[in-house]
Amino acid sequence: MSSREKGLGCEQSVDAAPYVLGALDPPDSFRVHFDGCATCRAEVAELQLVVDTLPATVPPVLAPRALRERVLATVRSEEELLRATGYQMDEPPKPVSRWRSRRGPLLTASVALAASVAIAAVIVLNNVGSTAPERVTVAQVAPSIPGGHASLRLLDSRAELVVSGMPQPALGKIYEVWLSHGSGSPQPTDALFNVTGTGSGSVNVPGNLHGVKEMMVTSEPLGGSSRPTSSPVLRVVLHT
Amino acid sequence: MQLVAAGDANAFEIIFERHADAAFSLAYRMCGRPAVAEDVAQESFLALWRSGARYDRTRGSVRSWTLGIVHNRAIDGLRRNSVHDRRLASAEGLEEDLEAPERTDAQAIDNAASDEIRVALDELPSEQRRVIELAYFGGFTHTEIASMLNAPIGTVKGRMRLGLEKLRGHLGDWQAVGT
Repeated sequence: MSSREKGLGCEQSVDAAPYVLGALDPPDSFRVHFDGCATCRAEVAELQLVVDTLPATVPPVLAPRALRERVLATVRSEEELLRATGYQMDEPPKPVSRWRSRRGPLLTASVALAASVAIAAVIVLNNVGSTAPERVTVAQVAPSIPGGHASLRLLDSRAELVVSGMPQPALGKIYEVWLSHGSGSPQPTDALFNVTGTGSGSVNVPGNLHGVKEMMVTSEPLGGSSRPTSSPVLRVVLHT
Repeated sequence: MQLVAAGDANAFEIIFERHADAAFSLAYRMCGRPAVAEDVAQESFLALWRSGARYDRTRGSVRSWTLGIVHNRAIDGLRRNSVHDRRLASAEGLEEDLEAPERTDAQAIDNAASDEIRVALDELPSEQRRVIELAYFGGFTHTEIASMLNAPIGTVKGRMRLGLEKLRGHLGDWQAVGT
């Protein structure tokens, strides 16, 4: 018996095809329905097998090498982080109320990220003795951005910040990279960047990072600022 | 996948190498721009890495699961950015829009199965093929497609169902490539 014949037993089975194609709008009520409807569940299962073959009709294209490098670099750095800290670190960070305290954006950001600094340090120290030509340091992303990830890739004297899952800066704003040598105010750089609609982006960090203790990113007016005007959205602790 | 769920990057790398080209190809087919496709593929693989524990082998192959993530992410991106207005012609002539793809050896091996599915899709009545392609590759909802084609919603749903059923008939017991 075909799924169509089976589908005749339920009026809502007409939604099975658009559902498996991802086109049913909204899909929620049908999803709830077929959980309790054997006819529709069977129809969805059968049609899903067909839909799963559709990607095979796509003209094949080689994945770019840069994609491979970015994904695997992120995964390697996160694996290292998990090993260093335990798998509970994989859980989403809990909101830190002090993040939005009245004591000024930079100071409160320092407090909010302080617990994470030791983690970053472990990773960097592990890399000091490595013969690998490239070092990847995982950034600490603000708790207010639970899906955000970022890492700093250091190769010889070059550094590239790669981010994902980051919100786009507000209208008229752009992300700016800052460098701190441990004392005094963070120094602005000309590394300004935006992220795509999916929250991904990358930027080369200019200059020599020797002596730099910390790198951070803030949201600033277009063109950048000479002093940070908002809390850091991410921070990388460096041991150069 | 159990190793990936446990945070084993080597196991993840094997999954990545096995499915990266298919994932990027699907994202590229849907989004039409290499940079956007790269973002979608990157986000999808990182989501897979971070949510490997959710994979249920009883509900399909790793390839189907991976490409399902890519499909969902691409649709999210298309709908969020409203860039798929320009994909209205997604059912026809898309291959000409894309840059010449570079085929891999593995893809060449898969060609026989892929060709079989492609032929089955091409042999569908054009109105059925079009609604399937607009929905699956274009990311359009059934109401958008009905409006686009100036057809009743019920007709659109019916065409989708008939098309998929015919595909199933063509494919017989064939199962997803790479299972």
